[in-house]
Amino acid sequence: MSRLINRRGLIVGGAAAAGTLIAGCARVDRQWPAPALLDAADAFTRGAQRLLLGQRPLARELSLTDVSAHFPLSGTFMPAADSYKRLLEDDFAGWHLRVHGLVERPLELSLAELRALPSRTQITLHQCDEGWSAVAQWTGVPLARVLGLAGVQKRARYVVFHCLDQLELDGNYYYESLDLLDAAHPQTLLAYGMNGKPLPVQHGAPLRLRVELQIGYKNAKYVDRIEVVDSLGSIGKGRGGWWEDFDHAIWYAGL
Amino acid sequence: MERQIDLRHPWPVRLWHWMTALAVGVLLFTGLLLFDIHPRLYWGDDGHEGMPAFFSISAPDLNRPVLQTDLQVGRHHFDMTGRLGLAIDTGFGDKDFLVFPPPADWDFGATRGWHFLCAWILVLGAFAYGLYLLAGGRLRRTLWPARTELTFASLGRELSLHLRLRRARGEAARRYNLLQKVTYLVVIFGLIPLLIVSGLTMSNSVTTAFPDLYALFGGRQSARSIHFIAAMLLLVFIVVHVFQVFVAGFFNLMRSMITGRFAVEREEAP
Repeated sequence: MSRLINRRGLIVGGAAAAGTLIAGCARVDRQWPAPALLDAADAFTRGAQRLLLGQRPLARELSLTDVSAHFPLSGTFMPAADSYKRLLEDDFAGWHLRVHGLVERPLELSLAELRALPSRTQITLHQCDEGWSAVAQWTGVPLARVLGLAGVQKRARYVVFHCLDQLELDGNYYYESLDLLDAAHPQTLLAYGMNGKPLPVQHGAPLRLRVELQIGYKNAKYVDRIEVVDSLGSIGKGRGGWWEDFDHAIWYAGL
Repeated sequence: MERQIDLRHPWPVRLWHWMTALAVGVLLFTGLLLFDIHPRLYWGDDGHEGMPAFFSISAPDLNRPVLQTDLQVGRHHFDMTGRLGLAIDTGFGDKDFLVFPPPADWDFGATRGWHFLCAWILVLGAFAYGLYLLAGGRLRRTLWPARTELTFASLGRELSLHLRLRRARGEAARRYNLLQKVTYLVVIFGLIPLLIVSGLTMSNSVTTAFPDLYALFGGRQSARSIHFIAAMLLLVFIVVHVFQVFVAGFFNLMRSMITGRFAVEREEAP
């Protein structure tokens, strides 16, 4: 997951720095036409990759011997809200995944109910936009299965994941989103297991998203609620995710 | 001495040159920022903090006022205490090590967006330029070494001229010399494609479509390491390229790449 090199962090770092690199040009990145160009490039990337992925291939899966001994932590390690701590004390017995929005049948699924659904286990390479990568085995229910149970309405275009962890920087809860194609990919999981054990708290218990076609920060941890929408405009600042809104990260992160 | 004006670079060459120069500038800058956040190079598929790296820049304790920075290359360690690196607050209650400071108030999240925007410009431009070179026979005319150039005597003469920083004169100035030809061929058909393909091997989606890319490079982290090393080689090329523009005549060469017009000083008849 991304690391913030901005705002608070960078004011400190930048002040310590002896002469910032290209200080004069730094602001070009937020003036017209820069944001439009970046969005256009992201859309172009998405289109190009849709062409490549037309046959819906699966991402490479590795074997148990490839699993990393240590899987780095990123983003939140322990959600701060008291409500989360209460859920944890109770081993998430009182927790339900809500599925709502543009669906025929809104759902509330307990962890036991999710575990009872047909599951998929895959060993894949997680890639962080910082540059590191690590291998883990993930077990969960394919998101397509849950969306199928709820029945996606015709108007639906995106799936938004609302999470239980608040980001220290602005106090907002984490959120991410996928388009329906990536949401329906067979390897896109709502994972409750990691390396053969229940998903640990620091990796997103009770439930996290695994989206193998995209990079680290799309794999939202602590997923609490899934909202099906026709536009991302009303979610956060409208760019589809916390990093996208707060840090100008790209939304379609398949590259 | 007589001067003759050649129309040296047709407009597609000039357009490609400046478009690529701009894109590569942003690519190198954002690429260094991406390296900066994780200044470690690994071999294989997975690679992260705590795993052996063949190149790393790190500091054991980020809370010290003066960082004890260690530059590691293979088994060698170089003490860079106080000379390299800084610690920044991540916003998650811990600190992160950076080799050099990014621009003030830079959004790390946007770095990849810029990198890919310019990567598209590089990729599409390189593809179009490659076709242009091949289709019109330009590759053979301007860049492919002639048989007469591929002799030790000719190579020795070229090297000697280069090492003494002598400009080419007369007819010789109208063509690329052997070292130029080989360098441009290596950059256009070696380094740039290698950068593009190794970069794409870091993509989840592209490797899903073409899983053999992993085998080609020996893993995701190997591709990242090769990408970085190739980028540094490209940087070396750019530094030498710019240096040579100054040595060989800044005004004339810049004019030739902007307007296409290149002045050749004719040699006196012997």
